Amino acid sequence: MKGKCYIQAMAAISPQPTFEGDIFSAQLVHTDSNLLACIEPDYKPFIPGNSLRRMTRVLKMGLTAALKCSQESGITIPGPIITGTGKGSLQDTEKFIKEIAEYKETALNPTPFIQSTYNSVNGLIALQQKCTAYNNTFVHRGFSFENALLDSMMLLQEGATHTLTGAFEEITKEHFYIKSRIGFWKEAPTDNRELYRHLSPGSIAGEGATFFTLTGTPTPQSYAAISDFRMLYKPRGGKLAEALKSFTTSPDLIITGRNGDSNHEHYYQELDQCFPGIPQLPFKHLCGEYDTAGAFGLWLAAQIIKAQQIPATWFPGTEHLSAPVRTILFYNHFYGEQHVMLKLERV
Amino acid sequence: MEELKKKLKEQIIEALNLQDTKPEDIDDNAPLFGEGLGLDSIDSLELMVLLERQYHIKVEDPREGRKILQSVQSMAEFIQAKQPA
Amino acid sequence: MAERVFITGIGMITAIGDNVAGNLHHLRLQQSGLGYSSYIDTIYKNVLPVAEVKHASEALFALAGIPVKEGYTRTTLLGLAAMREALQDAGITDVQSAPTGFINASTVGGMCDTEKLYFDIINPEKTGSFLQYIDTLDCADCTQRIADTVGFSEHIATISTACSSSANALMFGARMIKQGMLPRVVCGGTEALTRFTLNGFNSLKNVDKQFCRPFDQQRTGLNLGEGAAYLVLESESFARANNSRILAELSGYCNTNEAFHPTSPSPDGDGAYEAMKMALAMSGHSLEEVSYINVHGTATLNNDVSEGKALERLFGDKVPLFSSTKPFTGHTLAAAGAIEAIYSILAIQHGIIFPNLNFSERMEELNISPVTTLMEGYPVNHVISNSFGFGGNNASLVISKYEG
Repeated sequence: MKGKCYIQAMAAISPQPTFEGDIFSAQLVHTDSNLLACIEPDYKPFIPGNSLRRMTRVLKMGLTAALKCSQESGITIPGPIITGTGKGSLQDTEKFIKEIAEYKETALNPTPFIQSTYNSVNGLIALQQKCTAYNNTFVHRGFSFENALLDSMMLLQEGATHTLTGAFEEITKEHFYIKSRIGFWKEAPTDNRELYRHLSPGSIAGEGATFFTLTGTPTPQSYAAISDFRMLYKPRGGKLAEALKSFTTSPDLIITGRNGDSNHEHYYQELDQCFPGIPQLPFKHLCGEYDTAGAFGLWLAAQIIKAQQIPATWFPGTEHLSAPVRTILFYNHFYGEQHVMLKLERV
Repeated sequence: MEELKKKLKEQIIEALNLQDTKPEDIDDNAPLFGEGLGLDSIDSLELMVLLERQYHIKVEDPREGRKILQSVQSMAEFIQAKQPA
Repeated sequence: MAERVFITGIGMITAIGDNVAGNLHHLRLQQSGLGYSSYIDTIYKNVLPVAEVKHASEALFALAGIPVKEGYTRTTLLGLAAMREALQDAGITDVQSAPTGFINASTVGGMCDTEKLYFDIINPEKTGSFLQYIDTLDCADCTQRIADTVGFSEHIATISTACSSSANALMFGARMIKQGMLPRVVCGGTEALTRFTLNGFNSLKNVDKQFCRPFDQQRTGLNLGEGAAYLVLESESFARANNSRILAELSGYCNTNEAFHPTSPSPDGDGAYEAMKMALAMSGHSLEEVSYINVHGTATLNNDVSEGKALERLFGDKVPLFSSTKPFTGHTLAAAGAIEAIYSILAIQHGIIFPNLNFSERMEELNISPVTTLMEGYPVNHVISNSFGFGGNNASLVISKYEG
């Protein structure tokens, strides 16, 4: 992707206390349930009660993260809204499937059907912001947020001044079970603080809603610049290493989607070999694994590059940066299929 | 009739998740849509589902639904008229 | 100067035909694909008409060009059938011969198959080969299976914006070409009928028990359909260097949001008006140059008022010929935008205007009515194709005759 874009503002609802307060002094939330659930904020300051009453969890999380991000951006004219989600509202999808069976296809409430539609969060953001500009939703596993980002960068190239770009995902008990049947999660209870020490098949589940306001030009408020970006689908042979090497030469820091999954760890080992000696920070022990975890990883990378500081309690043992971080290489993949590399620069 | 209206109000609050509303807040004749309770077209579909699930009355035509769902009073009258005495 | 985007191959499957020629044939015969379902497990089988592709999934494997195997949903198979034709039509034997992207659209992924197995999938006591379908529910599954079968690896994406999904896929692909990211992108969508969607629209009281009547005063709702359609888009420079046969130009497009209601359009069609106006402005053509509009025309109470008002606002008393082809194909949701884009190309290529079936009485809110008879030998140069969806998502495309 040619051209740069700048992160003007961002907001994240995640399993860590990321929505409010100072993340550099925040505690690390941990569990050994193999499922990291979001800390949900009070939605009332963001969403009118009359709208809130029908919404399910991921709609509230997505809409609230988007609205907080918009507020923080200081930009009052709403622009294009582009999101990514792998699964949309699972709660509504599950509910509608069950009600069809329970009520034998009669007397069905339309709400779960409407809300199961993947672009319902986008519609709600537009509705609440009275935003009539471009609106799009990508639904492609580990490329959902990334295509939303690509779309946003193209819009900025085409002349948009800013975009509201984000991702949202939820995990339900039922979906956790479904994915456990095909080996998505570790079998043994694994504390997220120990995630990288237990290399075994599967990872731990997570969820989150992360939004960014992106601009085509930097401002004093900008967190970081996204200066390059590449997606790679099912790279075989030496393709990943080749792509990584041609993507960047010597970043100051690498943020990775490493997740303790022995089935796909070899991709991260290829990364290690491409960039020996460069410090790395993995982020999945904070948010768990999910289709759009990449958005959370980007949020973290932007926090670190702006503050030139590492959230200490989240990374015990590597809490200090030895040198200024001017560039970050971000690399993540989703179960070995969708691979993403991003370059972040200090503004 | 009074009992039916009271029950109906409780059912409406539950079905539409009107968290800050109590049955006594709903006036029998106040419009449910627009200015009154501030309900919208999706609520109207949900109220038709309520009639079907709780009272086994099926309203097919959304335009007919609008008339029935004007107020708690009109809903109660409709239910009473439809149900065997 | 950004590159022009040409359409160099088309492929489709709908209730009225397994390929483009079959669709054209039945459009000309004015034969609707609506009827009653043979394959969905629903109490509405003989109550609510649908436009179903007339093959069991087993038979679709042959059209998809693959041996019968587990894990391939009807959504994937319909998509593969249309994809095969589109690539062949564009003369592409190897998609790796040039960097080629694939932008797909889907509204409910593999729900058609997973809804039959869902209660087994969540039951720990049940196990068996059905587990192959576990990960087919999301929208990426069909995209990746199609991509892996025909060999796309350069760039893949799946869009889901309800009924405007594949129009947005075409727009996204065209923009990637204009930005010089790829010389060739295949765009479109695939949709299989499901009990989930049928009950969804029925719960909105939006489904007609009769065959749908777009723009008719007596209309009461839509009929669902299924199908898939893909269009091969190429940059002008690539198409020329490659000596591609050019079918038409994608000359304009626009996406707007209504910000009015989760499922209903605004009564005056603000979003539709803006989308059509901006798409036409981008194409560089005037209102008078529009020969035909393939309207969204779902036959729901709200859509047709809103879209009709938008047409009257934009074109005044000179509204071009327009029709909804949904009485032929049903509303194919994620596939509709791509199917109707192909119909727009057929209108240009063959000089035909398709009739809006089942129309008899003009709507009281409007001063316009659709074309009701098949028109042949009518010069068609520029077509607007509309797709509007839930969440207020509006997309309009302008497709133009290729004149060098």
